[in-house]
Amino acid sequence: MISPEASRPGRDTNGVLRFSFTRVQGDFSLEVAGNFGAGITALFGPSGSGKTTLLNCLAGLLKPDDGEIVLYGRDLYRGSPKMFVPPEKRRIGLVFQDGALFPHMSVSGNIMYGRALTPEADRRVDVDHVVDLLGLRPLMDRSPGSLSGGERQRVAIARALAMSPGLLLLDEPMASLDAHLRGVVLSYLRRVHDDLGIPMVYVSHSISEVLALADDALVLSRGRVVASGRPSRVLLDPVVGGMFGDDPVENLLDGTVIEQGGAGQSGRVRVGAIEIVTPPMDRPSGAPVIVALGAEEIILATEKPSGLSARNVIIGSITDLDPVSNGVYASVDIGVPMFVELTQGAVDALSLERGQDAYLVFKTSSIKLLDAEPLVDG
Amino acid sequence: MSSDLTIVLLSLRVATVAMLIALPIGFGLSWLLVRKQIRGRFLIEAVVSLPLALPPVVIGYGLLILLGNRGPFDGLAFTTFAASLASAIVALPLIVRTFVVALEGVDPRLELAARSLGAGPWRVLMTVTIPLAYRGLVAGALIGSVRALSEFGATIVVAGNIPGRTQTVPLGIFTRIQAGDDQAAIRLVVVSITLAVATLIVHDLLLRRGGLDGRRNRAGFGA
Repeated sequence: MISPEASRPGRDTNGVLRFSFTRVQGDFSLEVAGNFGAGITALFGPSGSGKTTLLNCLAGLLKPDDGEIVLYGRDLYRGSPKMFVPPEKRRIGLVFQDGALFPHMSVSGNIMYGRALTPEADRRVDVDHVVDLLGLRPLMDRSPGSLSGGERQRVAIARALAMSPGLLLLDEPMASLDAHLRGVVLSYLRRVHDDLGIPMVYVSHSISEVLALADDALVLSRGRVVASGRPSRVLLDPVVGGMFGDDPVENLLDGTVIEQGGAGQSGRVRVGAIEIVTPPMDRPSGAPVIVALGAEEIILATEKPSGLSARNVIIGSITDLDPVSNGVYASVDIGVPMFVELTQGAVDALSLERGQDAYLVFKTSSIKLLDAEPLVDG
Repeated sequence: MSSDLTIVLLSLRVATVAMLIALPIGFGLSWLLVRKQIRGRFLIEAVVSLPLALPPVVIGYGLLILLGNRGPFDGLAFTTFAASLASAIVALPLIVRTFVVALEGVDPRLELAARSLGAGPWRVLMTVTIPLAYRGLVAGALIGSVRALSEFGATIVVAGNIPGRTQTVPLGIFTRIQAGDDQAAIRLVVVSITLAVATLIVHDLLLRRGGLDGRRNRAGFGA
């Protein structure tokens, strides 16, 4: 069990949502307690661990048997004395796995549904802004049946945001999406959170997604919270890691194309303050892109190496060394956090420590580029 | 003998009141059966379906006991309202069966999504459930109306065959056949057939298009 700890600096982690409740359903019992901050919290756990039930209880679609749920200091549920705020009065946005769009309404009808029911004074979110942010402007008159999976998911997110929720719950928003669309939704979610500052709780099965997106993580197993705290700590914990098999950890970095390259010429992508040399790509300069790089593809050096064929040599500082079952995960701050997989032997030989500077070395060919925006819709 | 027009208008009036009774009750029962895990579900289904299995005369006799001069609702027998009530009861099973199918086609998650977006239960019903089930609901109302318009057995027992009050088209036909006035009977038969055929055609069109729509909706969820 890992105790909750402070999240990344600069994020307000003071309680947005506090809950502690039980719910028995047949021979499954959910018994959970936790605290969600203002950032993005990932809800992680094997299927059947109670993630969706937890979200439904928070949204008010299911009633707990006992306990309490408090959002921004307001009681949403209390076991004794009995008190239950119905879902329509909670102002909690919920995005279902496959969108659950209203098939008899257009995209704009869907988006405006909750908006129209929101009291004037509570309309903090600018719908036009959300529509642009999620790239939905050209789709407004379409019917949900004619949309692609990624488009439907973005409409569902916009619909929930348009009612200016105090909290946004997302139930595996990427479960039904292709790999390249995951990058798209991922970057939209991050953009939405950075822009609107609405706290999010997000159910995911992918360690890489959680590491890239979340400020906090809560791990459920068989209806109990087994770990919570910073994602890199929680998910790389050997006990927790064992629950999810050998899902390789990937670094997913938001970037902008500087040069697309081509015909034997490498491309270049800016990520924060650094520049990464990538394989050539068919995206124009200025386009957003997600750089995916496996944690096991990176070499760590304590001195600046020279005479290398690898094109990327980037300096950073080691912020964490987390032992896992088959080695150590080093978190290296290069402007953005990067995870590097090392063996315990390497850590000992180099006598690595927190706070130490380190060079990250990786080959151009180990980089995969994911779309951060759909190139072609449909 | 009543005029054709009197009989047809009375028939329409009886059927309309029957639908005003049967449609809300039918919708409520269907909604309970589809959306709520209630105890005694089987019992409700059985009681609702009973009029399909029983001879209408038995329904009429049961009603007569309730509405007759020794029953709890004394004074209602042999009124236009009794005719409507008899029609409503025999139409109810057909309405509930069609409504249940229509409501089962509405993904409950859409209703939950609407709740989370700020809609109360009543608004969810009006903006999500009914619009999505609409074709099936109209089809159920039509098939119920056809059954109400053709009701004979229960009506003649509990409401009698009073011209201008309870003599609907089927009872009118019966009376004219008995009186040997074939020409007058056939005029009402033609009215009867026209109404029934027209209603059944519309019903069929609705259900066929509803079916196609249902498939498109489900595909739309990308499941």
